[in-house]
Amino acid sequence: MSYFLQLVVSGVVVGSIYALSALGFVLIYKSSRVLNIAHGQIIASGAFITYSLTVWMGIPLVLSFALGLCVTFFLAMSVERIFLRRLIGEPIISVIMVTIGLMSILDGIIYLTPFGTENFSFPPFLPTTPLVFAGVSVSWTQLVGVALTAAMIGGLSMFFRRSTMGIAMRAVADDQMASMSIGISIPKVFGLAWALAGMSAAAAGALIGNITGLNFDTLHAFGITVFPVVILGGLDSILGAVVAGIIMGLIQQFAAGYLDGNWGLSSTGEIMPYLILLVILLFKPHGLFGIHEIERV
Amino acid sequence: MATNRWLATGNFFSSYREEQRIFFTALDRSALLAAVCLLALWPLLVTIDSKFMLVIDTILVAVVAVLGLNLVTGFAGLISIGHAAFVGIGAYTVASFARLLGENHVVLTHAWPLLILLGGLVGAAFGALVGLPAMRLKHLYLAIATLSFQMIFQWVINFMDFFNQGQTIAIGRVAWPGGTVTRGQHYLFWYYIILTVIVVLAFAVRNLLRTRYGRCLIAVRDNDRAADAMGMHPGLTKVYAFALAGFFAGVAGGLQAYLYRGVGIESFTLHHSINYLAMAIVGGLGTLHGAFWGPAAIKALDLLVESFSSWVGEILTISGNLATAFKPLSFGLVIVLFLMFEPRGVANWWRIARSYVKQWPFRY
Repeated sequence: MSYFLQLVVSGVVVGSIYALSALGFVLIYKSSRVLNIAHGQIIASGAFITYSLTVWMGIPLVLSFALGLCVTFFLAMSVERIFLRRLIGEPIISVIMVTIGLMSILDGIIYLTPFGTENFSFPPFLPTTPLVFAGVSVSWTQLVGVALTAAMIGGLSMFFRRSTMGIAMRAVADDQMASMSIGISIPKVFGLAWALAGMSAAAAGALIGNITGLNFDTLHAFGITVFPVVILGGLDSILGAVVAGIIMGLIQQFAAGYLDGNWGLSSTGEIMPYLILLVILLFKPHGLFGIHEIERV
Repeated sequence: MATNRWLATGNFFSSYREEQRIFFTALDRSALLAAVCLLALWPLLVTIDSKFMLVIDTILVAVVAVLGLNLVTGFAGLISIGHAAFVGIGAYTVASFARLLGENHVVLTHAWPLLILLGGLVGAAFGALVGLPAMRLKHLYLAIATLSFQMIFQWVINFMDFFNQGQTIAIGRVAWPGGTVTRGQHYLFWYYIILTVIVVLAFAVRNLLRTRYGRCLIAVRDNDRAADAMGMHPGLTKVYAFALAGFFAGVAGGLQAYLYRGVGIESFTLHHSINYLAMAIVGGLGTLHGAFWGPAAIKALDLLVESFSSWVGEILTISGNLATAFKPLSFGLVIVLFLMFEPRGVANWWRIARSYVKQWPFRY
């Protein structure tokens, strides 16, 4: 039983980070219908920026976390401004390919830094002794990670519900033509969506860095696992991203916990999301909460 | 077929037959024949280092794969981020025979054309399978479906003992009516084989585009609702496009297995899928000769960047390998710049150059 609960705990922790990174992905898709393949690289650069600020420049972790979020905010915004703004109205394949090219460019830039090949880990800033509830141990970083994720998601949903800009973004996601006609600046909304996505990606990256250490390959793989999550939740649903993130985290941990080592299986946690993805695409392509676009011919 | 030596400006075709000819003018046909002859004859006149021969062979294998990708992405308008996995399916079809029978079994050494064809057919079967969601889904979801196929393929190969867990599986030297192909002849032999395959397949693609099935692909790309209203079946057409692409990729995989004399997972990763996509885009999506320019351009870029980064490494006295950084960087830049400034690819430069020459000196 405690083994089960332990898996649940680690599943929720991983899942909440999935939720956070999927959130950024969905933000971009929802507002501008761009499938951002380079999301994993943005996650990674957010994590690396935070790390270099805190370790190489000696800024306290909390402050550098905030600074990292800001830097990635503007980084993602400029990515949108430089690369994607020109492609508004171009066929969908060009847009996807540009994000693939972007992925390559960011890869190259990261390989120029030591982060491309070496492993780093954040200095511990929380007590390292884990908390133990009923035989289940939870580390402080995990706890803070989940709390931060919840806070970020809560903050973003408040932003969408209350602020003028948030409401404008929802309006654009709903109907671009109508929102243009009432004077909402679409490019501004796209830029902001990218910036917010970059920010949440950076937060996710920094959290992964704190929990498992920084390794470019891991962050890379993490970025691709976001796809199954968003498909499970529905490409355009923020609630879906959160729920599916946690479901995917749980499934991964259960697969790793119960399947690996039995029947000669190994690293099932890595492949499970993609199997689920294929099944979902075949049977419920719009995910759990995605809008079902009905198209009659 | 082609009777008129010159084509009048404007479209004066008076029958469908005339419009659907393979070669519009005798000049077109003789130019192509000359190009093929040149490609076939130059190795007899000049001998080059086997290292460069391997590069040329690799480009040609990529041409086969990109021909297929161009069908599914360029003509049918479906993004496939799993093309390397289909190439891998073909290669591993050959490799599984090597695992079952031993690398120098007579089936591998003598029946290699059949095995390569079989690789193509297995690739086609998997292509149709992955394309099945196309019956219900649109482009974005399809792209993700192919991506997940790529990931599952990598995992299965890495996981299964039968496939040597992704380590290299050796393939024997092939026999030929003139005896076994020796080490010295290997690359030259495969150059001719791959060239033949390309000529046959390119001809097949050109021909396909004249038939209703080929026009179906283009119609579904341009507007699937209109295509549906015209009585085509968009879902089936997409599945068909994926199967075709799978066939081309499988053939390329089989050829690659024999060319490298070994199959390992490191040639069929997500990175290679993206590489194929980049080749198709740089060459020019939806053009036949784009499939030839693209692989050549990307491969040339690769070599250039490699020598450039070793040069920079020498100047800056950096011990690490700069190529790992410069390669993705330049590659990504090329993709992005092409998409932003020349979305029609190198094929368009060819078109511009051709129309310049054609109209010289009387340009409008």
